[in-house]
Formats: sequence, structure tokens, C-alpha cells
Amino acid sequence: MGLLALGTPLDWPEAKKNAHQVREWGVKQLLAIWNKAKGKERDALLWGDEIEYLVVNYNKDDPNVTLSLRQADILHALAQDEELCDNGGCVPDLQNVKREQGPPLPIFHPEFGRFMLEATPGKPWGIGFKDLLDVEPNMKLRRKIAKEHMNAEEYPITLTTYPRLGSPGTFTSPYYPPSGPRLRSQFVPDEIANPHIRFPTLAANIRSRRGRKVQVNVPVFRDENTPWPWKDPTVNYDLHNWPEDHDVRNGASPDNFIHMDAMAFGMGSCCLQITFQAKNITEGRKMYDQLSPLGPILLALTAATPIYKGFLADTDIRWNQISSAVDDRTPEELGEKPLKESRWRMPKSRYAPNSTYISEDSRLRKEYLDPNLVIDPDVKQQLMDGGMDSVLATHFAHLFIRDPIVIFAEDLQELDLSKTDHFENLQSTNWQHIRFKPPPAGNDIGWRVEFRPMEIQVTDFENAAFSVFMVLITRAILSFDLNFYIPIQRTDENMETAHRRDAVLNDKFYFRKNPFPTRAPRPYSANGGSSSGTNTPATISRPPTPTGPVEDEYELMSIDEIMNGSPSSSSNDFPGLIPLVESYLDSMNVDVETRCELAAYLDLIRKRANGTLWTAAKWIRDFVANHGEYKGDSVVGEKVNHDLIGAVIAIESEKGMGVRNLDRFLGKMVGPCGGGG
Amino acid sequence: MTRLILSTSNIMTGGPSIIRKPGADRSNLELTNSLRSNFLAAQQDYSPPLSATNSVRDSSDEDQISRPQASVWTSRHGSEYYIPKIDWSMSGLAEEPSQYDITVKLFYLKEADVKERPQHTKDAVNLVLKELGVPSIDLLIVSFPGMSFEGDCEWEADKKNSAQGNDEEEIASWSVLEELHNNGVVKRLGLAEFGSEKLARFLARVNVRPQVDQVNVKDCCNVPPPLMKLAKREQVELLTHNDCTDILPSGTLRELLGQGVRGAGILSETKRGIDGMKGDLTPEWVVKYTAVVRDRGVIENKGYFAVAELKE
Repeated sequence: MGLLALGTPLDWPEAKKNAHQVREWGVKQLLAIWNKAKGKERDALLWGDEIEYLVVNYNKDDPNVTLSLRQADILHALAQDEELCDNGGCVPDLQNVKREQGPPLPIFHPEFGRFMLEATPGKPWGIGFKDLLDVEPNMKLRRKIAKEHMNAEEYPITLTTYPRLGSPGTFTSPYYPPSGPRLRSQFVPDEIANPHIRFPTLAANIRSRRGRKVQVNVPVFRDENTPWPWKDPTVNYDLHNWPEDHDVRNGASPDNFIHMDAMAFGMGSCCLQITFQAKNITEGRKMYDQLSPLGPILLALTAATPIYKGFLADTDIRWNQISSAVDDRTPEELGEKPLKESRWRMPKSRYAPNSTYISEDSRLRKEYLDPNLVIDPDVKQQLMDGGMDSVLATHFAHLFIRDPIVIFAEDLQELDLSKTDHFENLQSTNWQHIRFKPPPAGNDIGWRVEFRPMEIQVTDFENAAFSVFMVLITRAILSFDLNFYIPIQRTDENMETAHRRDAVLNDKFYFRKNPFPTRAPRPYSANGGSSSGTNTPATISRPPTPTGPVEDEYELMSIDEIMNGSPSSSSNDFPGLIPLVESYLDSMNVDVETRCELAAYLDLIRKRANGTLWTAAKWIRDFVANHGEYKGDSVVGEKVNHDLIGAVIAIESEKGMGVRNLDRFLGKMVGPCGGGG
Repeated sequence: MTRLILSTSNIMTGGPSIIRKPGADRSNLELTNSLRSNFLAAQQDYSPPLSATNSVRDSSDEDQISRPQASVWTSRHGSEYYIPKIDWSMSGLAEEPSQYDITVKLFYLKEADVKERPQHTKDAVNLVLKELGVPSIDLLIVSFPGMSFEGDCEWEADKKNSAQGNDEEEIASWSVLEELHNNGVVKRLGLAEFGSEKLARFLARVNVRPQVDQVNVKDCCNVPPPLMKLAKREQVELLTHNDCTDILPSGTLRELLGQGVRGAGILSETKRGIDGMKGDLTPEWVVKYTAVVRDRGVIENKGYFAVAELKE
């Protein structure tokens, strides 16, 4: 999450008064970065993955599993150890690890949830194929190091959400009672959040700005014994500690929905995020646009979130829950009341699919853009006056419709144009599914694009597979000059579709039929324009974009078709993202062992897409449905939860011996391949 | 005698012809498809503008194909006949040569005269250097005819491979590659489809050793263990590829240049009574080149030249 500077955070009423100043300074800082870095060129492909973990207390013989709130202690242990390492006095185990691996040790970070950890590689990856092979061992190493700095019964696991977060009873250790002053949640204690002042302030100010608690309602899965209509039995309508306790009496918890009421239910989810450095701003903008339509597809493919607060949900992914959990919109912004104090209506939460394209690509037709995009016209004007083009200025003017949520009094003293803190304040609390990241101050990092929708996977093999796939598809996009543009509202619809149970197999997504560029005619031939004066191939101007109806450019396709290509029986002729990646690899010099391992990764994804293998969501549902204690009533009780967590731990630590239907989930659990794994 | 020089230009932006399809995953399809689409494109580009709209593509009836005259879109320089013509002013890469990894693979075809290989090799390398506007290439892999890794069992395939090809001819052909290496034109040399026994014999007899052996095994996880061992010991890098061993059969070449719907209309076919060039056609070699921006893994340029001799 970054931005952990200490200071005096302003409560919402104070923060609100200063929001405008932060925005104004943010715009100035953005222009300073942009002017400094717009000509930055030829940065290498560097990329990084982020793995987020839940930390659980698990004992085979104790039916009660809890989330460990010892994040600070664990990080402290890790930090101390690294210091020791730097001084050459590490614990022997770690020292061995370091010597064998060569590259720097992974880096651990705090996250919103006090039961979470985030780990990134010690240095960014490159595009060398050997680097791609290092990803999975490095992820395993991160898990191992994390585990080594925990108590014996603590485990870092990579489930997106903790199945019984917010259930009645004890789900954290140590135990804290809910209904604290910050979150005012009737399900989770304030201590669920990272105690660093930024995080509780973020949660409190979102609630305060919104004027009530956040409402995270997920449709419950209706099983054969689920009472119907279903009323969330854990909701307490008689609580009178805080004004917000009225929320449920005012209809915050509708029938047939699992009701949750705090930021932790969303921001306590684990994701798999990949950040790519682009060659320059132009390539970054292009990658941002081309990755956007892939978001919902990868989200459905990585679906891993079928349980909330001890109940089976009727959705498979985490996205909308996070979106609701940080939704700070006022009733006016939501359109529930006429606009009086708020500046505009906002159709989306701060956490949402991105709403506009930013490339200067001539293939970006205006029909792909949302005509109702909300922007701050003053911000756009300032950016354009500062020299920024309209397309990019529109993007940032859209991000700047929000208020900064956490403002530190110390930062309001004076504007420092060599820093990016005010800009980042808004940028980093716009949680869109793709993020365009300008170079940070004070180092040589370039323009970057972050791909954020994927759900964390249970094993490092899967996490490596999806990370590597994303790297390869960006290389294919740039090499083949692929075009995935569809109207951006279709991506919103696809994000909704991705939530459905087993959307990966049963639902269809809007996708562009022909991703290939149109051929540019020879510039000096009779029919080629010869306007461009230079003769480097890179400057060949594109042919005019064909202007058939936009609706003819895309179609509803299954994930299988999008990933593996249209079947010959189909009237579509979509090549498939995996065949595109394979064609890319065919043109590269790849050694046999690397290709073998990459083949194992692509095979996993191919089979997830065509249904041969199950998503984690499906495997978890199957695990619950077939557990002896499950009563067909959508309730995931403590014993089921215990055994599920036990199975998840076993998959990573004991190769999943005896875990139910593991082969349907991961295929044959041998190493990726004979030699390489 | 005419030397036909067929080219694809940069196929990276050429669309579907380069994408693997299930069931048809060998790259001779990539070669023939991209040659065909480059011919069509040149015919369109160089046609007089008025007739350009739909004279080429719309003709579904074989007898009514109207193509622009060959002289419009091809060019002849002495005995060299370029199909289509190449505008060398358009060649070159976007950044300076040091930014790229340039890999070239030369396929000697079985119909060609073995004694011509030194000349063919130099011609092929020179064409690529000119097309990419670079002074040298990083890796040159040669593929000799008649070699493969066929067979269901990888041990079996490795055994069979030992008797394939022609050791003496291959070793004789190698000296021109050593010369290119010694001149600095090629930084590394490589072979294709050499099994363990063949490779061991080869290594023992050459001065400049190949640093790469590119193999096409059905499943890249099943490289024959003896080959794996030898490669590790001798520090020969085993790379994968997906090329066809018989990359340009003469029948395919004839069809490509012929008068049919899918042909370029260059060669005469008397049964249709259409004029064109006549004579014995011998495919000699094919060269594939790939320029990858090294630290970004982006393929900027990839293409083929195919050369055949026509005895009129």
C-alpha cells in the first residue's frame, strides 16, 4: 500500500476542508512529473509481482482457526532479520537461502488487514526467460521466509478472503470485541485493521464522508436447505452503540444477501497484482488500454472467493465487495438525493473498473469511450494549460473527481514540487483495475502499468503461472501490435459477468473479434501515403481506421474461446490469447527447459479456461459441499472452515496429500516438469 | 537463368498468417501464408490507384483473375528477380543495432546443389543484413535437409536421427559459417535437429563449434536424455523451435507463383493459356530472420527470404 509516512491525520470534517488544496497541489506535482518524464525513453521491461497472504493460526487438533493479528510482530521479526543479514550475521538458515539464490531477499510489506502480509521480489524481474523461471521459486521462498518468522501454528496462506471473517465467535487472535469507534462495525473489531494511523483513518474517513457505514452485500448461495427468503442470521438489529447502528434498521441488510459493514471485508482480500515498466509513456499508455479488456477475463479465470462471513456466496470473486467496502460516495453523489453539497454524481466507487482509455493510438475510436465520463473540468484545463494532451488530461481529471481521504496536517505546510505525495494521495486511492503509474520522484524508474484484477491463487505454481502469462501476453500485444479495444462500458459489463458462479465456464464476455492490426500500405507505392519524410519503418503511418459500426467489432465469447481460440465450428475466428502467446514464443529463442516450464503454466491456464481444471472457487465449493458437517444450508461452520484451511495449508506444505479433488483443481501435482521443477 | 528472390517483409504486423492454429502448427504455413499475403499486398499497393479497390480480391472465379502486371509489383536486377520488389529505403530497425538480438535461421533445401551452399549462405546473410540495416547478426542457425526428431519415443527419435542427413556434406558446409564467424559477421553459430550422436561427431570435427542446437521435439519436456547430457557437457544450448523440416517443397513454391487463385501469377501455366515465366524451378534456400529488442522482449521485425533458381 505504500505511503506509510507518519503524521497527524485529519478527521474527515477537517480533511474535507483541505481537499481542494491537496487536489490543486496534486495537479501541480503531476504536471511536474509529466514535464520531467514525458520524454523518458527506452526503459527496459522490468516487472514485479505482489503476493498477499492471510496469516492464520491453525492446529490440526483445534477446531478453532483464527486470523493472526501479529502482523507488526512478524514484520518486525523479518526486518530485524534482514538487518542482521545486511550485517552478515543472519540466522544460519536465511544465510544459506541468500547464498544459494544470489539475488536480494524478498521484501515484505504491511497491508490494510492486520492479518495480512504482502511480499514482493527483492528486485524487479526482467524479460530474460531465465527470470521467468525464477518467479515460482522466489514465490516459494517468500512463503518459506514468511513462515519462518511466524509462530509454529501460524501459516501464511493465499486465499483471497478468510472464510469466517466477521462470523460470530472468535475469528482473530487475540480476540477483540467488535463495534469499535473507528469502524463501528457490528462484525469486526477496529483492531482488524493495521494499527498504523493511516489505515484506521482511511476507514473512518470513508465512513464519515459517506455518512453511514459501508454496505457490503453479497448474494447468498441458495442451496437445497437454505431457508428462503434468507435473512442474514448474524445481523444484530438491537445494537445501540453508535449512530451507524441504525444502518441495519434502515434496510442496509436486505433479504438473501450476506451483510457486511466494514472496509476490512473488502480491503482484507488478497490479490495478485503485476506491474510492468514500459519503454516510454507512449508504450505505457498503449499497454494500459490493451490490458483493460483483459481484466474481467483474468478475473473470471482466477475466481477464488466463494465464501463470506461463514456463508457460501452466489458469486465467485472478490471485486464488488472491495468496491463496496471503500465506497465513500455521499447520498448525493450516489444519486439518492439532489446535488447540493457534492459536486457531481458518480456512477462508480473509487474501487472500480477503469473508465477511460488513455492511448494516443489511432485505433482508439471515440465510440469506445464513455460519453458520460465524469471529470473535473478545472483539473483538465489546468493539465492542458500545463501542456498535457486532452486524452491523458481527461484520465487524470477523472481520477481527481474524488476527495483525498487521508490528509496529514504536516503535509499542508508547503508544496514540494520534487515530491509526488499529493498526487499519489489521489492516485493511490483510485483503485481501478488497471493503474497508470508515472515515474516516482527521485529515481530512474519509468512509466508503469499495473494489472490489478487477478485473485490470489492457492499455490505459488498458479500464481507464477498467471504472472508469467501476463508478462507474455504483454510481449505478444507489443510484438504483434494487437488491438483488443471494445467500448469501455462493455468492460464494466464484463466485470459484472465475471462475478457469476462459474462464469469461467457458463458465461460469455464481450471481446474483440479481430485483434490484428490492419496492414499499412507501402509508403512510396501508388496507394501508400508518402507524407512522412523519414524512412524508418517505425514511423510508417497507420492506414485510416476502418469505420464500420463498432458493434460489429466485438462479440460475446466464452472464456474458453477467448483464451484458447474459436473452435472451427464457430463463425468467429478469434485466435485465442494462449495461441498468441505460443506464437510469440515460437519466434523467440527459448531453451528447452524453460519452454517446458512455460508449457506447464500455459497448460494450467488453458485447462482452467476449458473446464478441464477447476478454479479455486469451484474447488472450495466442492470441498464445502462434500464435507460431512455441511448441512446444505449455505453455512460454512467452524469445522468445515478448519478443514478447508487445513487442506489449503497441506496443498502448499505437504504437496496436498489426500486433499479432496486436488487433481481436478491443479492437475497432476508433480513438479511443473521433470527437469525444470 | 534467373534467381527468384521471394520475400515476406515484416510479418509481425501481418496478422493471422503467423498465428498458430490447432492442428496446423508448423511454420511452413507461416512462410507460405506470409509470402502469399505479401504478394497480394504488393499487388494492391503498386496497382494504379483507380483499379486498386477490388480488382484483386473479389475474383472468386479462377478464369477472371485480374492481377496487375508482374512488372508493376516485382523488379529485376540482372539475373535477380525480386518478388515482390523491395524498397530498400524502407529497411532497417527503429533503434540502433546494439539494442537487438538478431537471430537468423538458414534452411538449405534438399533440391539445391550442395556445392553452392557457401554462396547461398553469403547471399542469405547479406540479404538479411541489408533488410535489417545491421552490420552483424547474433546467432545464425543452419538447418540441413533430411533431419528431424520424428517418432513417438524420444530415445528412438534420437537414435534415428543419428543416421539422418549427410555428415560429410554438413561438415563441408560448415566452413563458410566459420568464416562468417571469424569475420565477426555472425557472433554465434547454431545447428538444427542434431541428435546426440550426430552432434558428438560434428563437434569433434569442426573448428568453430556450434553454441546452439535447435530441436523440435513434440513435447519440449521430453528431450532425449542423451542429447540433454551431451549438450550440458559440451555447453551447447538446446533451443526449441516449431519450424517445418520440409519448409518449402517445390510443389508449394510452384503453387505460390502460379496462375491459380492462390498464386502470384508469375509462372506460366500452359494449360490455362496464360503467359508468364517458364522453366525448371529449383527451390534453393529459405532464410528466416528475427529482430528482438533485447531488454524488452518485443519482436520488432521478423520475416523470410526464399530463393529459387529458374532455368528458362
